[in-house]
Amino acid sequence: MEAFKDKQDSNKWSNREGLKGWLNPTRYGWERLSYWLMRLTGLFLLLYFVGHVYETSNLVGGLDAWNAMLELTQTTYGHIFLILVIGTSTFHSINGIRLIFAETARGLGKPGRPDYPYEAGSLNNIQRSGIWVALILAAAAMLYGSSVLFGGE
Amino acid sequence: MRESTVMKIHYVTGLAALLTVAVHVMMRVITPFSMSLEYENVVANYQNILYSLLLESILILVSIHGFNGLRVMLLELRQDAKWEKFVMLFTLTAMLVVIGYGTRTIIIVSG
Repeated sequence: MEAFKDKQDSNKWSNREGLKGWLNPTRYGWERLSYWLMRLTGLFLLLYFVGHVYETSNLVGGLDAWNAMLELTQTTYGHIFLILVIGTSTFHSINGIRLIFAETARGLGKPGRPDYPYEAGSLNNIQRSGIWVALILAAAAMLYGSSVLFGGE
Repeated sequence: MRESTVMKIHYVTGLAALLTVAVHVMMRVITPFSMSLEYENVVANYQNILYSLLLESILILVSIHGFNGLRVMLLELRQDAKWEKFVMLFTLTAMLVVIGYGTRTIIIVSG
């Protein structure tokens, strides 16, 4: 039993690429791109959210503290960062809705016999179009965000 | 808690966060962007009880969804009992700290 456990421990990392596999840009299909973008945008949005909670806590310090914080964020780079937030949040939301549909087996197609060339029925055009829609809407939201932030209103 | 229940919570908080954040963003867009960030305007928003409740909801929903997402990603990278326990404790603590800190801001500014 002990020997089996030791073998299990030594095999813990075998056949697993971990973060390297995650970041490897080869072998990317639309689904893998979506998987990668979902995680990347999620991490980025979590970091932004924590930063935003900290940023808005400057309200407690009064008018001067708030204006000093705004001076840091109301810059060209600050606006570009916000446009990235708009794009990533749009993609994450739309792709998240697609994943909820996939999780509840909607739009996956019917299971069939696996025949050569073994194309998975679940990776069909309905699912793929969800990824494209997410990417297109993210780009549109970023354009709208740019017009508001750089529109000089 | 079963992992399937945790994932259901993940999806529900994601959808609810999407709706509440949409209202939050609309509040910024219905006034000119530069004006919407003026100190008096932001404080007035916080002092509206419904709006501060909305902000608290966003804080809780996004924290649960975001830190659970981080937990899932970290568990995808490595699986063993020690790591799972550490990830669970780390994400739970970070979530509670962010909720506590954000709630403090909402209570002080709206008071």
